Amino acid sequence: MRRLFYLVREAWVNMRTNRTTTIVAILTTAFALACVGIFLLLYVNLRNAAGSLQEDVKVMVYLEDRLPSEQVRELERTLKTDRMVDGVLFISKAQALGEFRVQFPSESHLLEGLGENPLPASFVVTLAPSFRSPDAMKAWVERVQTMEGVAKVDYNQEWSSLLAGLIGYIELAAIGVGILLSAAAVTIIGNTTRLALLARQEEIEILRLIGATRTFIRIPYFLEGAVLGACGSALSLGILKFAVELFRQQIQLTGRFSGIEGMISFFPLSVCLALVMAGMGLGFAGSVVSLLRVGDGRA
Amino acid sequence: MDAIIQLIHVSKWHDRRAALSDVTFEIEKGEFVLLMGASGAGKSTLLRMLIAEEQPDEGQIFVHGKNVTKLRPSEIPYLRRKVGAVFQDFRLLPKKSVFDNVALPLIVQGASEKDIRRKVTEALRAVDVDHKNDQLPSSLSTGEQQRVCIARSIVNGPVVLLADEPTGNLDPERTREIMELFKLINARGTTVVVATHDPHVLKDVNRRVITLVQGVLLAEHRVGEGVGG
Ligand SMILES: Nc1ncnc2c1ncn2[C@@H]1O[C@H](COP(=O)(O)OP(=O)(O)OP(=O)(O)O)[C@@H](O)[C@H]1O
Ligand SMILES: [Mg+2]
Repeated sequence: MRRLFYLVREAWVNMRTNRTTTIVAILTTAFALACVGIFLLLYVNLRNAAGSLQEDVKVMVYLEDRLPSEQVRELERTLKTDRMVDGVLFISKAQALGEFRVQFPSESHLLEGLGENPLPASFVVTLAPSFRSPDAMKAWVERVQTMEGVAKVDYNQEWSSLLAGLIGYIELAAIGVGILLSAAAVTIIGNTTRLALLARQEEIEILRLIGATRTFIRIPYFLEGAVLGACGSALSLGILKFAVELFRQQIQLTGRFSGIEGMISFFPLSVCLALVMAGMGLGFAGSVVSLLRVGDGRA
Repeated sequence: MDAIIQLIHVSKWHDRRAALSDVTFEIEKGEFVLLMGASGAGKSTLLRMLIAEEQPDEGQIFVHGKNVTKLRPSEIPYLRRKVGAVFQDFRLLPKKSVFDNVALPLIVQGASEKDIRRKVTEALRAVDVDHKNDQLPSSLSTGEQQRVCIARSIVNGPVVLLADEPTGNLDPERTREIMELFKLINARGTTVVVATHDPHVLKDVNRRVITLVQGVLLAEHRVGEGVGG
């Protein structure tokens, strides 16, 4: 329809006439959103890392010495029927000793002098994926610890709770920085569209006099805001992608931390699209807010 | 006949000076009315109030059955689509072609491409500038710009046409041509109100004349019936 074409063209003309303002707005928006993006990337990557760490989280349930096999089987049954448990593997005293010998051949003589095999029998328990969070694990461990025949429960909780703590902080920071800088982006774009609007007061006055509704007059500015937001967001993704690649290359060059470059991932395409849409939404919101502030009299 | 414009005890102050005081009159459907008065008499103020560009401080104004003083802001655009206006300073968009300027009232309403083409061509032919469709307003003479402005005001077939000092910048010959144009538009059924301080326009018009003197409705008469001139 002619009207739609007209509105889109007006938005385009607006942006072209105020080229400098438009470019500055896109750049500042892009940098603001890139800052938010850094936190998001960090968050996503740490979550990935935590996920892969948690995958091989195993809990060792050491048994009391000389536990009757009756009771061992009873315990195994209890563990296996636990809904938080994925798999249970029994390791007898003899197996434990064998493993120790394989893993530490030079230290195996240490055990010789002790006469009887000092290593306890144990269950190696893999928890169900949905119960691998530090909190769930802790609760489970506390429960199992009180079971009869259990001497000690052990797991590498430091790593995962440390990481979980860190992820918590990053999440908070991402939210805080996100809100702050999104507000900044909204303001930047809002100001840009408002300037465009104020620069065209005379034209707007004419449109009003020939019967244009307020919505009709405002749509090009809303469009402009949305386009600025989308462009800024897309550009910020470009900046981040570039930075990630650079980082990977640096790691490869220096050779330090080699191996982790494969673990650093960028946002998947769907998330990229969502972020561009979010930028568009921010830009749109910016122009709506600023045009509402301009008020009745002018548009 | 029905009154299409009706002012009832309308007063308006600008900076504590009365631009209009207690003005009451009616214009009937299909009439051609001249609104006369010296500079500052309140003609523009009156016309602006008819399209709700200004509100009176007192009194009521009805246009095409609507109380203009009680319109919600969202209703004003629809009033303006029924009332065409020709402005003293033309108010054409400088960066848009003649065609696009005239098409604007139709675009704003969401008319179809086909309608736009047909109606704009018709309107430009009526004002006799259809050979300059693609030019910018600035490349036209004053008289031509005035005609483009008139074309824009009639393009969507308004019920009422208001013209504020449409001959203010024109020589007597062009003035006569423009007045002829308004007569033609009026002959097709549109109610026409022309505000002017230029007594020359009275020469060939045999119409109803409303005269304002410092915001007061002075006299109503018909030219050609022995008064005025
Ligand atoms: N926006 C305004 N603010 C203050 N005073 C105004 C305003 N508009 C009009 N006036 C005053 O109101 C009076 C009527 O003005 P108006 O423009 O209606 O006169 P007019 O008859 O159209 O004159 P002209 O023939 O010069 O166009 C004048 O004294 C003018 O100075
Ligand atoms: Mg005037």
